[in-house]
Amino acid sequence: MLDKTLTFILIGIIAIVGNWIGYGVSPIDALPGMMIIAAITILGYAIEKIVPLKIPVVIWVSVIALFVTSAIFPWQQTIVDATTQINFMALATPILAYAGLSFGKDLKEFKKLGWRIVVVSLFVYTGTFLLATLIAEIGFRLTGQFK
Amino acid sequence: MRELLNWKIHAFVFVLVCIAEFIGVKSLNIGVGAIAFFPMLYALILGAIISLPRFKILSDKEMDIASKILGISFMLFVAKLGTLMGPSIPQLLDAGLTLTLQEVGHFLGTIVFGLPVALLIGMKREAIGATFSIDREPNLAIIAEKYGADSPESRGAIGVYICGTLFGALYLSLLASLIASIGWFHPISLAMGAGVGSGSMMAAMTGALAIIFPEASDDIAVFAGAANLITTIVGTFVCVVFSLPFTNFLYKHLEPILGRRSRIQTDGEN
Repeated sequence: MLDKTLTFILIGIIAIVGNWIGYGVSPIDALPGMMIIAAITILGYAIEKIVPLKIPVVIWVSVIALFVTSAIFPWQQTIVDATTQINFMALATPILAYAGLSFGKDLKEFKKLGWRIVVVSLFVYTGTFLLATLIAEIGFRLTGQFK
Repeated sequence: MRELLNWKIHAFVFVLVCIAEFIGVKSLNIGVGAIAFFPMLYALILGAIISLPRFKILSDKEMDIASKILGISFMLFVAKLGTLMGPSIPQLLDAGLTLTLQEVGHFLGTIVFGLPVALLIGMKREAIGATFSIDREPNLAIIAEKYGADSPESRGAIGVYICGTLFGALYLSLLASLIASIGWFHPISLAMGAGVGSGSMMAAMTGALAIIFPEASDDIAVFAGAANLITTIVGTFVCVVFSLPFTNFLYKHLEPILGRRSRIQTDGEN
């Protein structure tokens, strides 16, 4: 748990710097929001550890974040104002950097694959995105939402 | 578990983030549509170059650590999306019906688009594992449990898993910006489509959509995050009770038709 907490602090610092370079938000303005986001995440992991149900941590983290920013939470506005300072794109950049740095790991396995599976994988990923988009679009046109 | 604090990995990420954010957003018009290039993609591609085995900069162990940190760092992104979703709960509930229906597209899409192609180019039982889902970790576990880790079905699933890990985020973000710029779909429909159930893919697609529709960027993050959360929550259940039996059913009926031509020439391959 301690190493995870320290890791979140490190990533948080990296994201704050990225948020500063990319979106011009000064680190001082961004710090409270980043601390809240890190605290929500750490709390999510803590609850997952304590509660003896097989509920994945992604659900706990989402539920806590939703709760503290929903209208029923007394300090909703303060938390929303603080976390708005962190652009979600700035937070995703370090994530994709870690993804990039793990690229070489699977390259050996990839070279063993045939061309067929590569073609199929592109159709699989295209399909899940396009069909969901298409159904959502039909749904919105029928219900008249989001014109 | 001190490995999560590997200074070399974090130092590389810090430098990559600084360079990537410094370059900023670029958009390339290619006639049929636009392709968005943005910091996330630079960080991904530059990171991938650094990790290439021929450069001997990172060891296998260090790349393994990077992938572990990736898994937990995504939770910070989930928390951020959650804080965007909280104030939008009424809008999410309003769109609840569509949000639920489009999940059908996420689960059916891999099969409907993937299986016929797999059969046409001569795949056999591998096609089932390859196309029944987007083949992330939980899906691999389902296939391995049912058919065994050395089965053709598992080989197909692992193949798509590896392709997705390597190129999924990059491919889907390019596809998302291209489809978005054509203008057929509403930004929110595309955002829901981006909730494919994989962290790095969803993040990269959300980024691409937010570049194409800057005025709707927060709504895009809200609905992509919500769709992704639903896909993740119901994913394992749907895959066991629906996707896998349905893929098997389609395989039984489609393989004799679509797999006919390739039966002889590709025996023993794949």
